[in-house]
Amino acid sequence: MSASSTVAQVAILSRRSVLGTFRQPQSWVPGFFFPLMLAAVYSSQFAKVVDLPTFPFEIDSFLEFILPASILQGVAFGATNGASDLAADIEGGFIDRLLASPVPRQVILVSRLAGSAIFASAQAIVLMLVFLVFGASIAGGFPAAITLVLVGALLALGLGSLGCAIAFRSGSQEVVQGTFPLIFVLIFVSSAFFPTELMEGWYGAVAERNPMTWIIDPARRLTIEEFAWSDAGQALGLCAVFAIVAIAVASGQQRRRLRTS
Amino acid sequence: MTATVDRTMRAAPADVGFFVVVFAIARRGLQRVVRIPALMLPALLMPVFFVVAFSGSFSSAVQVEGYGTNEAVNWMAAWAVMQGAAFAGVGAAGAAATDLENGFFDRLLLAPVKPLAIVTGLVMYGQARSLVPTTLVLIVAVLLGADLPGGVPGVVALYVAGIGVATFISLFGLVVAFRLRTTRSLSLIQIAIFSFMFLSIGQAPLVAIEGWLHHVARINPMTNILRLARQGFLGDIGWSTTWPGLVAIASLCAVFGLFAWRGVARLRP
Repeated sequence: MSASSTVAQVAILSRRSVLGTFRQPQSWVPGFFFPLMLAAVYSSQFAKVVDLPTFPFEIDSFLEFILPASILQGVAFGATNGASDLAADIEGGFIDRLLASPVPRQVILVSRLAGSAIFASAQAIVLMLVFLVFGASIAGGFPAAITLVLVGALLALGLGSLGCAIAFRSGSQEVVQGTFPLIFVLIFVSSAFFPTELMEGWYGAVAERNPMTWIIDPARRLTIEEFAWSDAGQALGLCAVFAIVAIAVASGQQRRRLRTS
Repeated sequence: MTATVDRTMRAAPADVGFFVVVFAIARRGLQRVVRIPALMLPALLMPVFFVVAFSGSFSSAVQVEGYGTNEAVNWMAAWAVMQGAAFAGVGAAGAAATDLENGFFDRLLLAPVKPLAIVTGLVMYGQARSLVPTTLVLIVAVLLGADLPGGVPGVVALYVAGIGVATFISLFGLVVAFRLRTTRSLSLIQIAIFSFMFLSIGQAPLVAIEGWLHHVARINPMTNILRLARQGFLGDIGWSTTWPGLVAIASLCAVFGLFAWRGVARLRP
């Protein structure tokens, strides 16, 4: 199997993955609706919170504070749906047909993850544009915006890989969908929607130690303060490490499934 | 579960009593969640998570004027209870949508039962389900340090509001499920309910909310229902904060009840 042939197969299956998502509005609408809805609500509900003397950022609108979290939340929705579609392919027998064809095994996972990353990038761009239309600004300019898109794509790879690992392990859409609340918990118990400096007691301590906080905080500094390579490096580096580990886990689960099926 | 209703039908095929059908349908739903706990688990765990997460995340938000408490849990507990009740209502609609897909509902409609009894049974199932998350959230809230100066009347107000929310959301969900006849309608129901609930004083008092949301929250019936539910956590119970919530619940139940009744009647062959 030549390299060009493998790339062509990845491209075709990635396209199928992206088109499959777009053709099911129930798959992608929540990934836009819920982050935007929550951002709209929180920017009004917590408008006065930014005036508190203990609020750690000098911003005009809570919308600017919540921008990175909204991208992350939207990407989490999309990544779960991508993994759910893989489980649907396993349930429906499409994966068995792929295995019977001369397609390299790695292409199955790579194409699914590439589809998720492409979708997440598009999602991050759209969400940012909507925020800009409603008055948010990105202090770090174009480099910060690019970093946010890349963070979204890498997170989609990481979260999508974990979802794919569960899909390979269980072969069930229901099980994959059932993991979404866990991601939601991970996002919520972080600095996503409120600064950890203003969280009290054990909850604040947990949120500060949540890896999501370590990704969101530098991404937020890029949007609120200015572009800094150290912040971009921290956000992208952590996402990349997470993606690499998660892809390794997903590959392992794929190999296990191939051995047992 | 099916057998529960079928036994009822066999006992009196020509004239099945209204309440016999109501209780049989409600019991069937409850037996379903006992047999498949996975159906109930997210609806139980999420409200508990919400009360912990909202109280923790927004613990400093109560420093803003208008909350009327220094502890975020006093504000967020009622909000989490309302969400648990809403999940219970969606569960009732989900049960109906599943039955519509698998053909059980068609058999039910062919039986000599009144459409209103079917709707009432499903709503009763939703109401019964809502009691579990309400109790669980209340216990967790107390463990987190909720004050409850309103005492027993405050707890009663909380349960009344929870059952009320479960009732009208069950009815709303049934309207959509009867119209679309598929479990895919559940995502639509959830989006509508999410919007309805979040565009209120769920996480912040009206005086703290700015812009368009202030105006929407002011006229959203959910605001008065939350005032009814929350008053026991913030102080003594007062009629002025009780009756608007009761009127909001009654009005929403009347409107969605009428549409749900018409919806199930239209399904009859």
